[in-house]
Amino acid sequence: MRYDMQLPWWAWLLMGTALVLFILMVVISVRRNHGVKRSLFASPYTLWMLLFTIVPVILIGYYAFTGTDGTFTLDNFRNFWDSNFDMKKLVGEEYASTIPRGTVNVDTLTYSLWMAFLCTALSLLLGYPAALFMADRNMKLGSSLVVLFIIPMWMNFLLRTIAWMSLLEDNGLINSLLRSIGLEGVQLMYNSGAVLLGMVYNFLPFMVFPIYTSLSKQDINLSEAAADLGCSPMQALMKVTIPLSLPGVISGITMVFMPSVTTFFIPRVLGGGNTMMFGDLIESKFLTEGNWNVGSALSLIMMVLILISLSILRKADPNGEGGGIV
Amino acid sequence: MVDNEHLIDLRHICKEYDGVTVLDDINLYIRKREFVTLLGPSGCGKTTTLRIIGGFETPTSGELYFEGKEISSVPPYKRRVNTVFQKYALFPHLNVHDNIAFGLKLKKMPKAEIDKRVDAMLDLVNLRGYGKRKVDALSGGQQQRVAIARSLVNEPEVLLLDEPLGALDLKLRKEMQLELKSMQQRLGITFLYVTHDQEEALTMSDTIVVMRDGHILQIGDPKHIYDEPANAFVADFIGESNILRGTMVHDELVSFAGHEFPCVDFGFGSSVPVDVVIRPEDIMLVGEDVGQITGIIQSVLFKGVHYEMMIDCGDFTFKVHSTTMQPQGSRVGLSIVPFNIHIMKPMELPAEEAKADAV
Repeated sequence: MRYDMQLPWWAWLLMGTALVLFILMVVISVRRNHGVKRSLFASPYTLWMLLFTIVPVILIGYYAFTGTDGTFTLDNFRNFWDSNFDMKKLVGEEYASTIPRGTVNVDTLTYSLWMAFLCTALSLLLGYPAALFMADRNMKLGSSLVVLFIIPMWMNFLLRTIAWMSLLEDNGLINSLLRSIGLEGVQLMYNSGAVLLGMVYNFLPFMVFPIYTSLSKQDINLSEAAADLGCSPMQALMKVTIPLSLPGVISGITMVFMPSVTTFFIPRVLGGGNTMMFGDLIESKFLTEGNWNVGSALSLIMMVLILISLSILRKADPNGEGGGIV
Repeated sequence: MVDNEHLIDLRHICKEYDGVTVLDDINLYIRKREFVTLLGPSGCGKTTTLRIIGGFETPTSGELYFEGKEISSVPPYKRRVNTVFQKYALFPHLNVHDNIAFGLKLKKMPKAEIDKRVDAMLDLVNLRGYGKRKVDALSGGQQQRVAIARSLVNEPEVLLLDEPLGALDLKLRKEMQLELKSMQQRLGITFLYVTHDQEEALTMSDTIVVMRDGHILQIGDPKHIYDEPANAFVADFIGESNILRGTMVHDELVSFAGHEFPCVDFGFGSSVPVDVVIRPEDIMLVGEDVGQITGIIQSVLFKGVHYEMMIDCGDFTFKVHSTTMQPQGSRVGLSIVPFNIHIMKPMELPAEEAKADAV
């Protein structure tokens, strides 16, 4: 294979514009009161957002509310509720009542939400003590633990997931080990447990780092003050350290829950054909079935769900102190 | 006012961090209702001493007694002392009322009683009606008061204060000094106060402990420390001083700056090198012909209450405080009464400081 290192002319144009813009922004922020309206320089960014974020969302909306013939319809959402909807339309009113409601789409969504909830809860349970340990100034191991958490992130996400296969497979490392000491092999892959494991493994750092940041920002005197006023170490943790790290916790929950609920690929690799999550479902609608309309409707439902959960979380951290993307 | 009973006893306390000695054989007792100040430059070990008493550090060796019981391994939350931290360390997630109520809630006190005591504390620190405010909406001085109230409400045997006024401006600091002192006297609580501000120490304390490089240099009441500093360092640190190398000719006669002066000290021996300390306000400017020595005024600075003049006497440049000004360049006579000449054994100075003194 020959690798074409040449970029098309428009790519160069784009990069050149970005560079010029960057230099302009730096110059302008250094020398103020230059007479030019500063908001003018934000317009390219606005354009960018419009092109690559707003337009796709509008397109998703358009596809979601139109049929294959391009006319307005809510059928795609009916399809979400009843996956046999198309079939019922096909066989006509007469026989439609004999076909039961297809629940696969709703079930997949429920399953995705449940898995995302479990993944987030598990990450929090595992991540908080880790962050606490890392942020402890008396702990010499803390900083090396930070590095240990970062190193896996240097590897590609797909690779990390596939690596778990070689551990969990029927003839994988763990099962070989079990057999070599005379035990029965265990079915580790192709179930929800393996999917959950893969998700927690991949998303745990996104839980740990926001919490770690908010913990290490905390004034050491605060926990000393708590001890001084009569808190045992456990009480100081519950009454001062944890409440003050809540912004980080909320940020962590957001950063884990969002990718968890939309996750795909992990279920396919570690769950085999036995599990499907909402992300996989959307992917299959677009790429396998080629049904962009239903796929868009499912995406829209997902987006609304995420927006709702974000607005709930935002209430808990109104100042955005966790530095999250809420 | 101050009881004779020892409340806290530090015996041979040493503290090392990674092989570096921070405190070296500290022996100190604190009596009930006493206002004790640990005074010294930064790095002298005063905060470490406070933290050992508070329970945030354990001494490497030595014993710490509280009402006769050894407590050096008792965790902070079981000690009947409370600390006011340098940076206040108020809980940002709680309002003023809940910050002050923090310790009482831990004691499972009924809510009505807590509210009563918190309100009384708010009155005491002049913050009546501030209970619902967020702590980060308060000014530095107000936060300081909340921190003090939060500690005092627990009715500690000893209140430890770690440079609590360091972040306040001069005027507020002076006000708070008086307030703290009167609070301490009214409540009859023992205060252990850490500061590097000698004026603060002189204003507030019953007893001052001057520290340096992990050692205690002198313990005494403010007047004693000021008038009879144990060595040149204490003299220099407490107020301004002229510190000279001199020679004790014999009892009650000392030689420095190229002249012999009668003094009141004795027992040093004859022809022994000594340190001589003279406060700038103790040097009298007299006529050129009647002075013990004469000098030329090098510079005059107006300091508000007095003028500060540097007077070159050939061998030594004296710093003199006087309410009357002499013009720069004029020749004046200097006179020092024997009582105001303080003689002390020369202190072992680290090499670099000895050099600085020579300049």
